[in-house]
Amino acid sequence: MIEVNGLTKVYGDKTAVAGVSFTVRAGQVTGFLGPNGAGKSTTMRMIMGLDRPTSGSAMVNGLPYVQHKAPLREVGALLDAKAVHTSRSAYNHLLAMAATHSIPKSRVHEVIEMTGLEAVARKKAGGFSLGMGQRLGIAAALLGDPQTLILDEPVNGLDPEGVVWVRNLVRYLAGQGRTVFLSSHLMSEMAQTADHLVVIGRGRVIADAPIQDIITGKGQSRVRLRTDQPDRLHQLLAERGATIASPERELLEVTGLDPRNIAALALENQVMVYELTPLVASLEEAYMELTKDDVEYHSLPAAEVSHS
Amino acid sequence: MSSTTTESFPPREPAASPAGPGARNAGQSLPGPTFLRVLNSEVIKFRSLLSTLILLASTAVVMVGFGALSAWGTGQFADAANRDPQAAARMAAQGGDLAVSVPTSGIAFAQLILGSLGVLLMSSEFTTGMARSTFAAVPRRLPAFAAKLVVVMVTSFVVTAASTWVAGLVAVPVLDNYGLKLDLGSSQSVKLLLVNSVYVAAVAAIGMALGTLIRNSAGGIMSLVGIFFVAPIAFQLIPGDFFTEARKYLPGNTVEPLTAAQHVPDTLEAWQAGLVLGAWVVIPVLLAGILLKRRDV
Repeated sequence: MIEVNGLTKVYGDKTAVAGVSFTVRAGQVTGFLGPNGAGKSTTMRMIMGLDRPTSGSAMVNGLPYVQHKAPLREVGALLDAKAVHTSRSAYNHLLAMAATHSIPKSRVHEVIEMTGLEAVARKKAGGFSLGMGQRLGIAAALLGDPQTLILDEPVNGLDPEGVVWVRNLVRYLAGQGRTVFLSSHLMSEMAQTADHLVVIGRGRVIADAPIQDIITGKGQSRVRLRTDQPDRLHQLLAERGATIASPERELLEVTGLDPRNIAALALENQVMVYELTPLVASLEEAYMELTKDDVEYHSLPAAEVSHS
Repeated sequence: MSSTTTESFPPREPAASPAGPGARNAGQSLPGPTFLRVLNSEVIKFRSLLSTLILLASTAVVMVGFGALSAWGTGQFADAANRDPQAAARMAAQGGDLAVSVPTSGIAFAQLILGSLGVLLMSSEFTTGMARSTFAAVPRRLPAFAAKLVVVMVTSFVVTAASTWVAGLVAVPVLDNYGLKLDLGSSQSVKLLLVNSVYVAAVAAIGMALGTLIRNSAGGIMSLVGIFFVAPIAFQLIPGDFFTEARKYLPGNTVEPLTAAQHVPDTLEAWQAGLVLGAWVVIPVLLAGILLKRRDV
């Protein structure tokens, strides 16, 4: 379990993390979602005692990370796929890490096998692809067989097979009752991996809820309908307080009324409807909705670049 | 969606990690990073880098090479001195025994190489990102710093002492050709070997402190070169008593008073030189340790 309380990090006049509080529970995968520059990595480094918080605290399994007697056996972390000396082989890197906690060589071989690094374990880590680097980072995180795992962007640079592998691995580890906390800026990845989401933007927690709540709660459900009398139906729906968008002629997207009520309204007024589809907001839409005001680096909307 | 794929994992999860969460509380007593374990880790890190081994080998080659060259040069000089009264006078001014310092004649290069090694061992932690792994494993940080310091100082001492010894073995027959005697067991020989080796270990420690403070390989090595090669020359060129006096306190100028058979004028007393060299090691190392503990990794 990870408890973060009022964690703040200020660099000069820039606040990277502003009073973040959340709890990561055991037995589930908690996603840490946010756009680039939102403060995810900084928060994770503070949990790991690498960066000193300006204020606030982070506890792992009841103690600050620094105070654990055997930290690698308590928490395994992948903070950066490049947290390796580029000229050292993967095997020696893991061996040196293991030596600090008297973790036996057999465990080093085990994690190498688990992460599929056998073929490259004796090669210099500097020559690794990003994907291999991620696997090495995950191997290092697993060395101490820790109860808690903190993985910063673990699927970054992995091929599709690797992405599925990480997804299954973290679900498996959470299934064993471990605490798994992983960050990503890819909402689609979170939708498939996480049980619980902490969404962060500009150093603040925007949402902290089970993933289902985030999908259904914040992104309101909409209904798409097609009719040959769009103007008349538009007026009728608006009178009932619905919000209506009309991306094209004869197509309406209605927010605020459920399909049953819309159908009843159309029947009452003898308006023919030839499509009525409930749209469940994707997590991606919910995420964009949540963070649209909190993105540090805005890009032009695609609509302004190409067609609408 | 995810639940459908969960069961397929893991094909290869070994049975050897049975510890689910239940076994965890017992984990309190499992081994953590004690100093000896961290030292072992630093030794593994040290010997698993090719660049480190190359620097150590270079030191040995340079020390032995310069020992041989210097033996030959000294022989030539002594030969000339037998015929040339002027050279004889110069030789006499040096105390007459040139041969004894032959084995350590490459020490300036050994200090540069091993001092740079000290810088690199720490700066590369930061430039490669390894520091995040190192200090995640040893979050108290100072044990890792101390272990690295022990590794670099002991290695520097041993490599310098061993290559000085070998340089001496190579020099003896060369000097013998010119009728010069070099007794490697004499107290002055042993003193030169030990003091120079301690000195190079000190330079390596200063290098490591610089690497920790500056966190940049080029910056650290340039600072080292500044202290050991530029400052002594610059201080000599700048007029004024202050610089003449200050020059004595540079770390590179502590070796002569520490090894001289008799006190050489315009140098520190041996005990002063020892204290000065000690301060040159202790102050940067303490500063580096304090800042390492405080700064973000």
